[in-house]
Amino acid sequence: MGELSREPGGGGAVEWAAARWAAATRGGGGAPSVLNGSWAPLAMVRSSVTWRSALYLAFSMALGLGWFVVLAVGLSLSLGLLIIWVGVPLLALLMVAWRFGAMLERRLVLAAFGVRVPDPYRRLPGTRNPLVKLKGMAADPATWKDLAYLAVLFPVTLVEFVVSTAVWAATGMTLFLPLVVAVNGGAEVGFGFVSYWAGDPLEAVPVMALGLVFLVLAMYVTRAMAVGHTVFAALLLGPSPAQAENVELRRRTEHLRASRARGVDAAEFERRRIERDLHDGAQQRLLAVAMDIGRARAKLDQDPEGARALIEQAHAGTREAISELRDLARGIYPAILTDRGLDPALSGLAGRAPVPVEVHVDLPERPPAAVESIAYFIVAESLANIAKYARATRASVRVAREDRWVVVEVIDDGAGGAVARPGGGLAGLADRAATIDGMLIVDSPPGGPTIIRADLPCSW
Amino acid sequence: MRVVIAEDSVLLREGLVRLLDDAGIETAATVGDGPGLLGIVEEHDPDLAIVDVRMPPSFTDEGLRAALAVRARRPGTPILVLSQYVEERYATDLIGGGAEGVGYLLKERVSDVAEFIDAVRRIAAGGTVIDPEVIGQLLGRRRAGDPLESLTPREREVLGLMAQGRSNGAIAEDLVVTEGAVEKHISNIFMKLDLQPAQGGHRRVMAVLAYLGRAGG
Repeated sequence: MGELSREPGGGGAVEWAAARWAAATRGGGGAPSVLNGSWAPLAMVRSSVTWRSALYLAFSMALGLGWFVVLAVGLSLSLGLLIIWVGVPLLALLMVAWRFGAMLERRLVLAAFGVRVPDPYRRLPGTRNPLVKLKGMAADPATWKDLAYLAVLFPVTLVEFVVSTAVWAATGMTLFLPLVVAVNGGAEVGFGFVSYWAGDPLEAVPVMALGLVFLVLAMYVTRAMAVGHTVFAALLLGPSPAQAENVELRRRTEHLRASRARGVDAAEFERRRIERDLHDGAQQRLLAVAMDIGRARAKLDQDPEGARALIEQAHAGTREAISELRDLARGIYPAILTDRGLDPALSGLAGRAPVPVEVHVDLPERPPAAVESIAYFIVAESLANIAKYARATRASVRVAREDRWVVVEVIDDGAGGAVARPGGGLAGLADRAATIDGMLIVDSPPGGPTIIRADLPCSW
Repeated sequence: MRVVIAEDSVLLREGLVRLLDDAGIETAATVGDGPGLLGIVEEHDPDLAIVDVRMPPSFTDEGLRAALAVRARRPGTPILVLSQYVEERYATDLIGGGAEGVGYLLKERVSDVAEFIDAVRRIAAGGTVIDPEVIGQLLGRRRAGDPLESLTPREREVLGLMAQGRSNGAIAEDLVVTEGAVEKHISNIFMKLDLQPAQGGHRRVMAVLAYLGRAGG
């Protein structure tokens, strides 16, 4: 498994966790982008980002030119017409257009370079009045930075176009020279002191080695330009540092608010479940017992045998009620967890599971009670799911300290396909983990194996 | 006497059937959910329907709604609603359409077999039986200007017993006083609560609960 980032995300903990998981396991260490991808030639050849970057750099000049023309014509026209007021709506229209263009450009940068440039815009006034909205746009510095970006886009993309055309043309010409020779019947080869006429495709093959060198060079040039363009885009299209900090704080607040709400919901759900269990279980049993004893009392004189049978039945009923209450109490909070900690508590869970469960707990010291409890219930719910749905033959539970995290991992060899549905047990666990800033990941491809992993902070 | 039962817990349903059977009361049919109640009532025309409040599909007040549906469709069908918890609001909902032949009891009352069977017979005969717990809730509520405040503790006690559908004689026996004393208390209560004295046990309950229900808003 790749590096697992623990930075809490904005959206639902589960989707976010799933996305992180996908990135961590399939992306080979984070989502591929020009900023964090490998610079090794072989890795670059394999990475689609290299080719997407090359495409963008080669063709974005069209966009750059387009915006240059639109802005040059539009701005001069509307500024010229300002005196007779027609220029104002024209300018407003142009502003909306270039904001749209900047948004498109952010998308393209993400698609080409794999780098997300966050929207820097202020929130527009929540009104239906378009004039107020336009005023809000005009007052936003981000709008004018968008304009700056689009205005400079043409020279920047022109340079990018010229350079990438040169390097990729050289690469193509040299790599495919034998083909050229075969088609044209010959070609002049000339590189400094080496110069000859290749009349046969085989004679052009040595040039292909040079082509490989050009290929690597072209990839590096492309990569460097891509990084440059990313920085350029981030500077003008992205939020300023203060704004970024603000956005980050807002995102964090939103995350905390959401996780608190989910925590409250999870607790509420839990209380309802306990009420339901009590109502359907022990309460009904005890009522039946009371009824049996009542009937026995009524029969005592006339039908002592019948009364005896009823008392037997009531006795059995009380035992069942006791066992139901015990299970319920353990489900609310297992006493052993408080007394002895996770290892014996999890061993107890494993012992009651219907499939063999290996338990490894490796913690230098006991984590806080909230963390222990959430870890316990994650394992309990996972094992219950395994028993119910997974058709597994064995499972394993691992709890270990990694850095400042308690990592809980439950793996089974069952059918897989487990998903955290909203309102379901797994989602409830993710919500509970989120309340202490932990996270839960479910990786369960169809066919298995299923891995449920939770990272919980040690200090809470 | 024939009854139908709507109760989702098999354990309790079977227990009820046997308990009634011991007392010579025949169970014509049983269902495990709310919507099924009306069907068996229409089919068997029982002397009484016993209904659990919390049943599938919603597990909330399914049974109560089924009971109200039965009362709306066939007014006068005696109904005994059993519940794990009693709520005055449920009680006032139930007797809203007339208190004749209405019972509302905590489930655990079934363990006092003789008393339970007695309640079943009284409801089937058109009486009203409301759980003492509900009466307690209603009487326990205090609000400014509540005429209940003006009742003496003894009158309060009498009102509670009255609301359970007891006759004057039974109340007198319970409180170890003469029937005449009970009658005096009752007329005091009616006077203080500004109610016209009416005849018959269930009418008194209806009057009392209608008053209490109105006070509860």
